Amino acid sequence: MSNTQDSIIPKVVIVGHVDHGKSSMIGRLMYDLNEVPEQKYSELKAVSEKRGMEFEFAFLLDALQAERDQGITIDTTQIFFKTKKRKYVFIDAPGHKEFIKNMITGASSADIAILIVDVNEGLKEQTKKHAYLLKLLGLNRVICLFNKMDMINYNQHKFLKIQKELEIFLRKINVSTISSIPITAKFGDNIVFRSKNINWFDQKTFCEVLDDYNISDIENKLPLRLPVQDIYKVGNKRVIVGRVESGVIKKNDELFFLPSSETVQLSSFEAWPKKKEEYIAGENVAITLKEQIFVDKGNLISHLENSPKLMNTFEASLFWLSEKKLNFTKKYLMKINTGEYNISVTEVSKIINTNNLSSKKLSSVPEKNDVCEVIIHSQQLIPMDDFKINQKTGRFCLLDEEQIIAGGIINLGNFPDQKHLKSTKNVKPVNFSVTEIDRAQRFNHRSAIIWMTGLSGSGKSTIAREVERKLFVKGFNVFILDGDNLRTGVNRGLGFTAEDRTENIRRTAEVAKLFAQAGFVVLVSLISPYRSERKKARDIRPEIFKQIYVKASLDECKKRDVKGLYAKALSGEIDNFTGISSPYEEPKTPDLTLDTIKESIDESVIKLENFIIKEFGILKNS
Amino acid sequence: MDKHLKKLENESIYILRQSYRSIKNLAMLWSLGKDSNVMVWLAFKAFLGKIPFPLVHVDTEKKFREMYDFRDEYEKKWKLKLIKGSCPSIEEIDPSLPPAARSAARKTEGLKRVLKEYKFKGIIAGIRRDEQGTRAKERIFSPRDESGTWDMKNQPPEFWDQSNFNYPDKVHIRIHPLLGWTEIDIWNYIKDQNIPIVNLYFSKNGKRYRSLGDKDITFPVNSDAKTLDEIIDELKITQISERSGRAMDHEQEDVFERLRSKGYM
Repeated sequence: MSNTQDSIIPKVVIVGHVDHGKSSMIGRLMYDLNEVPEQKYSELKAVSEKRGMEFEFAFLLDALQAERDQGITIDTTQIFFKTKKRKYVFIDAPGHKEFIKNMITGASSADIAILIVDVNEGLKEQTKKHAYLLKLLGLNRVICLFNKMDMINYNQHKFLKIQKELEIFLRKINVSTISSIPITAKFGDNIVFRSKNINWFDQKTFCEVLDDYNISDIENKLPLRLPVQDIYKVGNKRVIVGRVESGVIKKNDELFFLPSSETVQLSSFEAWPKKKEEYIAGENVAITLKEQIFVDKGNLISHLENSPKLMNTFEASLFWLSEKKLNFTKKYLMKINTGEYNISVTEVSKIINTNNLSSKKLSSVPEKNDVCEVIIHSQQLIPMDDFKINQKTGRFCLLDEEQIIAGGIINLGNFPDQKHLKSTKNVKPVNFSVTEIDRAQRFNHRSAIIWMTGLSGSGKSTIAREVERKLFVKGFNVFILDGDNLRTGVNRGLGFTAEDRTENIRRTAEVAKLFAQAGFVVLVSLISPYRSERKKARDIRPEIFKQIYVKASLDECKKRDVKGLYAKALSGEIDNFTGISSPYEEPKTPDLTLDTIKESIDESVIKLENFIIKEFGILKNS
Repeated sequence: MDKHLKKLENESIYILRQSYRSIKNLAMLWSLGKDSNVMVWLAFKAFLGKIPFPLVHVDTEKKFREMYDFRDEYEKKWKLKLIKGSCPSIEEIDPSLPPAARSAARKTEGLKRVLKEYKFKGIIAGIRRDEQGTRAKERIFSPRDESGTWDMKNQPPEFWDQSNFNYPDKVHIRIHPLLGWTEIDIWNYIKDQNIPIVNLYFSKNGKRYRSLGDKDITFPVNSDAKTLDEIIDELKITQISERSGRAMDHEQEDVFERLRSKGYM
């Protein structure tokens, strides 16, 4: 294999204001490098002629009909080509402000950033916004291209004026300039070939600057960060899988887990078809541990030294992508590496006008495409790093109702680390208090809240009883909280109005939480008809809460009518009966569905039993 | 393995594991071509030797004999859970499409049938950005509504390996673990890992297939490349595009976009 093959292929993103020539520049570059196949060239020529245009290099990238018809880039695209020195992937990002989310999608994976400016138009709104976003994406060194030099007659003074203006702006936001090159995408000046028209410019052409750019592999030199992506059962081994985000992991390493602060030795690497002795940043690993501890998806593994911080309050810079304004009273889902947490934004300290770098008054909240600085709070402790220390574990995104609405980078600043390194080994001090983890280790399973929702008569209680019996035989500490039974005690006096149902669910969830703290697998069998209430129940202990939908149609339940309740409800003898005179909202994303029409009770029981064992069982070392 | 291939391999494995973790009821399309064999291989790596979800072959019944033989051989050898999906007849397909594209659209309809029957929430497909301009615009995790429609003008953001997996009931997600690979990457990897492929890719009588589809709308290109090394050398200098032998791509400017917006891979 040749040398050009054996190196990393850098990803290069081009950003800048709409119509400043991003797509055209890439098209021209490829053409001059002889990277446009003949067939493609004639296809594009025909496409350009069809639209009554001269040959348009941008069509090489703007493949969508709407893009060609409107002459703008809508979505980001990637294209591959090679120079004499090496191969590249070019990422074209749209410059129109409507498509910031697409620009970020494109730019977020880049190694090298290029900012292009139309010298005739000068710095525009999106030139500055994009530069600022590059910084938030961790791309704080840029190559600046000054396009359309033909439009200003290749005038050096005009070029220098705009170049200086840009440089001052970039310096203010702590972005450094690698090179500033006057070009004409249309004619190829200073792209691959030195321009005859711009003879006053004697520095490297764009292509030369690219080829000389060194891509650092700084991730390998940083401390180990391995977020737990998933846990597989392979034979009787419990295998933790994840990708090394930074650092190196070796056989026999002592591994430190957050948020549990447990230390345990790595036992083996698992791989197919063959394994290695050590893994570096960017590699996926599968490991087993010498001792079984409480590990969950989203945990962050490091070494004991230089471990991540554990935070519940921190500062972040956000780019806000949603039409909906930020809402302080709302819980958002934060995804950081493989972890998911409920957070709320407690304060907006600054909204930055990227045009003049001024900040808006403090009372306002960010709107679509704003960048801002905020303070975030979470009820749970979240392992993380400062973005300046480790980009991979110092960035996150926020989701609201099934959509990514923001991205952010973490600034830990003066917020104190919440990690308490009381004991480094698994040895407990004399005055230790019994924790949930201690119980889990003794019981060989973690505690769990298995929330079974469904219509009356769908089979919740029947299945729960069977599963309880089977798990008990297998040595589980398991207990049923049944809606009907609870109504005779803790929930006595509560009726079936919406308010009373809410209170009923709240109390049941709190009782379930206590049982979970005692190390139990709690099976909650409760109609719990409202989505919002079930969500509240989940929020009490989201990491151990599983929603099980016991599914049967209303007609079938009426037919079954084991307790004769439907008949009474239909005759009006009972008010507010779910399904008849009160709504039931199906779960949208249950963790498991037991369809008791399609499945026999036995099948549902086995399905739920296996699910609980897989999710919450702990295998002892054999 | 060189650094670049290693990087691609790791990116793909991460995507596969992320899909398995986040999407219930997942399946992988196995078209029997070189790319989808690489994908199956990566799935073996991701899941430590055993693929935990079924493979789907949407059969147009117009594939080459060699492809069917390959399927039957490796279904057994690799111990695959294989679902064979059928396609509707050409008469049931949108007649406004040009002939080859109309024929290719059968596969889309076949896939919809499988989706409906098995209620898959995630479909892993081996498309690559370098194959075609609209594929270059794809996301790794791309949501589709019930009819498979690709809303290409309003794709969700995707950055820092974070995506949304939580869509309404009828939406399924197309997963594209090979999006960042190029044709030559695929061949280098096949060579490095010794991955089995259908022999139609190798030159016979001065011709070979660069891309495999239905036999009536797929044509071989001129080539003397009889070995993996020769194929790789050929690709380093060729000016002919990979899908030049796929009739459906060249009928009209926008035909591939039309096919894809309606759910074609």
